[in-house]
Amino acid sequence: MSDHLNITRDRELLQGLARSDDKSLEIIYLENFPVILRMVQQNNGSDDDAKDLFQEAMIILYEKVQQGDFDLYSKLKTFLYAVCRRLWLKKLQGNTWVGLSDNLEETLPLEETMEEHEKRDEQFRIMQRSMGNLGEPCKTLLADYYLHKRSMQDIAEKFGYTNAENAKNQKYKCLMRLKKLFFDQYNDTK
Amino acid sequence: MKDQIQLLQEIESYLEGQLSDAERASFEARRQADPVLNAQVEEQQLFLQTLQQYGRRTELQQQMDRIHKHIATPQPANVVPIRKSTSYPRRRMITNLAAAACIALVTSLSTIAIMQRAAKQKTTAQYEDVRRVLNNIQRSQNALINNMNSTSKKAPANPGTYGGTGFAISTNGYIITNYHVVQGADSLYVQNNKGEAYKATSIFEDISSDLAILKIADSTFKSQPLPYQLKPQPVNLGEEVFTMGYPRDEIVYGKGYISAQTGFNGDTVAYQVSIPVNPGNSGAPLMDSEGNIVGIITGKQTTSDGIAFAVKSAHLKRLLDEMPKEKLPRREWTRKSAHLESMSRIDQIKKLEDFVYMVKVYN
Repeated sequence: MSDHLNITRDRELLQGLARSDDKSLEIIYLENFPVILRMVQQNNGSDDDAKDLFQEAMIILYEKVQQGDFDLYSKLKTFLYAVCRRLWLKKLQGNTWVGLSDNLEETLPLEETMEEHEKRDEQFRIMQRSMGNLGEPCKTLLADYYLHKRSMQDIAEKFGYTNAENAKNQKYKCLMRLKKLFFDQYNDTK
Repeated sequence: MKDQIQLLQEIESYLEGQLSDAERASFEARRQADPVLNAQVEEQQLFLQTLQQYGRRTELQQQMDRIHKHIATPQPANVVPIRKSTSYPRRRMITNLAAAACIALVTSLSTIAIMQRAAKQKTTAQYEDVRRVLNNIQRSQNALINNMNSTSKKAPANPGTYGGTGFAISTNGYIITNYHVVQGADSLYVQNNKGEAYKATSIFEDISSDLAILKIADSTFKSQPLPYQLKPQPVNLGEEVFTMGYPRDEIVYGKGYISAQTGFNGDTVAYQVSIPVNPGNSGAPLMDSEGNIVGIITGKQTTSDGIAFAVKSAHLKRLLDEMPKEKLPRREWTRKSAHLESMSRIDQIKKLEDFVYMVKVYN
């Protein structure tokens, strides 16, 4: 019964996460991080390892939730623990993944999740590199428009363009450069 | 450049859903007709998705770092004792583990040693050479036979310590038998089924395949042409075979079949034969239904009845080919004088028994 309640609570937290609610993120983070920290410490890992590991797991969770197809069938703690364990073992063993004789592993089929994560991770890295190579003011301009959803008017003012139309043209030029940087690498990896 | 910007703008408005219904329909029609445009739309879609994802992830990372700072900063005093308390048991654990590992290592090594020893003992217990230890009763029998055959050459009255079987591979006195039969021999005698005994010497021995080649010391010795040949091809599983040997002082016939293509413990130069053999059968020829030599009996398994082992004739042949030139008998084992294949078994035996000898070993 208490398990069931916990899952209900976990689901609510996840809904919060899907809405990018800061409070939900904080609760999930604070409740689950100590468990992972302990696991990593027991396996000769440092506090920073634990942080990296847990944050990667949180990214996986967050992206799955954002996609809207994530159905929680176990406790959130179990899911995060299993993902972290998986990531940790992978890190320890390099890329050769050896099957775990762990019950957690059997109850949580993570193959798809991990594969998807790897693919997205690759895309993320390419985008990160492309953004890094783009330079200013393009980087901030694009971030402002596409990520922070600011209006063209605001952007024109911020960057000192005479009007929104000019800013828009500049934005498209930047976009084309970024696209080129991105796809040059993206198509290489295929 | 201008065109490209225009196109990009158009694609973007389409993806963002800013077009009117009519514009939208016309754009979609164009998209369907123009694969290049379609690819560009898809590209833009993927790109924007990745960009959004990038933004969200960066945002999340920053947020998490902020949260993490909250946990990390109020606990610096806590972190140190935790570390200390974890490092201590770890050291103790390592010592314990090392001790446990040592014990495990010693235990497993000794287990392996014991197991291997036991296995070895078992192996030797399972395999038995079928040479015969001649006893007093046989001695009197033997003496009797010798007396009866007073016309022929006599063997010494002492019948020897061990007995085995051998068969001729040439007309001038070359005989093949098992190495374990002649092992440690002071002197060797071979005796045919008429009771004629000849002194022989071992001229070539191959311990690994348990074979020995004997030569009758009498240089004037001459027998009939060999009625058989050494069959170079392996015989098939289930093929009927027979043997003749001297488990007694008299030649004994036995019939069986090839039951496996490998010998004791998977030995590839031997067959497993289901045939009754007894001490004294060592070195006996194994023949197929046409009277060709297919192997030479070397031993049997003690743990089960009717399982004997025979070295393959192909190996025998290879051994003969490898023999030093000056010792080599004439290659008479590749052809045969008689056509045994058309004969009945009784006639075959009659032809063959003259070429099968009892090997007697004195030491």
